[in-house]
Amino acid sequence: MNSYQLGLIMNSCISVIQVMGVFIITSLAGMFSLGQASFMAISAYFTFILARSLDLPIILTAIVGLGISALCAFIIAIPTLKLRKDYFALITMGFGEMISAIVVMCEKYTNGSIGYSRIPKVEHIFWLILAITAFVVYFAWALKRSRFGRMCIALKTDETAAKSFGIDTYRLKIKVFIIASCISGLAGILYGLKNRVITPDGFSWNLSAEMQIFLFFGGTNSLTGAVLSAFLLKLLPEMFRSLELFGQSLQVYRTAFYCVLILLVINFRPNGILGEKEFSITTVRRWVSRLLGRKKAEGGQDD
Amino acid sequence: MLLQLLINGISLGAVYALIAVGFAIVFSVLKFSNFAHGGMISACAFIGYFFQASFESPPPIIVTIAVTSAAGVLFALFLDAIAYRSIRRHRSPSIYYFLASLTISILITSLLNIFFSKNALAYPMLFSSTTFDLGSLKVSRMDMMILAVSVVILAALMLLINKTKIGLAVRAVAINPDTSKLMGIDSGAIIVLIFSIAGFLAGVSGVLLGCKYGVYPDLGQTMMVKGFIASLIGGLGSLGGAIAAAFILGVIEMFWTFGFGALSTPVMTFVLMLLFLFIRPQGIAGQFAKEKV
Repeated sequence: MNSYQLGLIMNSCISVIQVMGVFIITSLAGMFSLGQASFMAISAYFTFILARSLDLPIILTAIVGLGISALCAFIIAIPTLKLRKDYFALITMGFGEMISAIVVMCEKYTNGSIGYSRIPKVEHIFWLILAITAFVVYFAWALKRSRFGRMCIALKTDETAAKSFGIDTYRLKIKVFIIASCISGLAGILYGLKNRVITPDGFSWNLSAEMQIFLFFGGTNSLTGAVLSAFLLKLLPEMFRSLELFGQSLQVYRTAFYCVLILLVINFRPNGILGEKEFSITTVRRWVSRLLGRKKAEGGQDD
Repeated sequence: MLLQLLINGISLGAVYALIAVGFAIVFSVLKFSNFAHGGMISACAFIGYFFQASFESPPPIIVTIAVTSAAGVLFALFLDAIAYRSIRRHRSPSIYYFLASLTISILITSLLNIFFSKNALAYPMLFSSTTFDLGSLKVSRMDMMILAVSVVILAALMLLINKTKIGLAVRAVAINPDTSKLMGIDSGAIIVLIFSIAGFLAGVSGVLLGCKYGVYPDLGQTMMVKGFIASLIGGLGSLGGAIAAAFILGVIEMFWTFGFGALSTPVMTFVLMLLFLFIRPQGIAGQFAKEKV
């Protein structure tokens, strides 16, 4: 494979990590975040600026970057998650706007809207990204099966009932949001390492929304669906790069194309392409059906 | 100077109020955050611009506003047909409304981005002189026009909701669509009406914002956030609260911009919103903050 193809695969892997972050919030806990891209931005900027200015190894500063993402998530979560879910979506969206504004404001450190490009080069970046992607997908899978994951699903299905079983839903939601923000932050750091430049525009509201679209396309209740759709929807538009429509590369229509797909899904297959279903290979199916033990597609969300 | 800033702030708040009300009215009935509103505003701003630009001598702005808001209503009905209707039919959870509106907003913005440049198009000059003197103050004609149009429309809308029979039906559906049906209210028709009102408001605010800031694809998206914040501070779903909060937000933002520059305003509005949620989570109006059990 040449480096272009490797680059495409790396992009798709990063997209999978992003969607895993959203998966944990939306599919497990039933909340809707529109600010995950800003956590990518926070982690990436802190990691690379600290690595450059203090001359520390990137692995150390990455931990600091993730920690700051977690801290921001915690601060937002305290007032917001006590209220109904709609507040959460709006607050995270406002947070995204704020982070973009801050990046442009702190021009001295971040190089403003031109983009920060003094990012150290990392050896074997392809294998690193692949390994981290595998780890994150495994983590999401394990999380879904754990006691914690079942508590989250109870919360998503019926918050009042979950409370009556003694689940502290408020603290659970805060934890979920922090975990998801760390995963998003990880995606941001890898994005920076891969592209060697980060701009505030690259972490805009559209990216957060795109993650949600990928997730819903694959099916909110299916981890396989989420992974596949995140990988393929990122990859496929690149394949049709050379085709043209109205004198512009098909690549330009990428976002519009996703949106049309989602509208079709909403109209004809409300549970996403895969819904609860998985691969046809029996072994895989058995493996995955254990993972997706929950057989409740309809009425999965309250409210 | 203070008075000058206050007037400008109120005029800014009037536009925010239009957006916030368009957002809040959908929320009060359907209980979901209508992200499509931003895309609608952008689309309407473009419609208004091309209508205005298609004449040799531009028609009065009121005509453009009327035509655009009619187009906004039709547009809203179209969106209802392609996205929301099937959600109602399937009785899907409201997270799908949310997703549909999000998708529509991005779809509109990305299509506009493909076919038009990111550079702002300017509306033709509306007034021969941009300001007039009021005592020692210089008042922008544009701001006064925006303020007047917004206030008239907001007043008409509040009368419609609070004083008429249709308004009563809207308020009933907002409380409970199923029970309203038993009382002889056609809930489906009311929901379509709500979307049309939101489309109408998007049309008006699209033209006004286009006049003030120029027309570009991300216009609606940028402005929508302010509308959201206003309706959140006002208490989600409350129209009166949203209007009050929008005016307050407009004035605060104007003073902040004067003191600290425009770049840091998103930070200020976000922190303000977060503080507000700490102190008074139910919003100014104090409705809808808790999910009903």
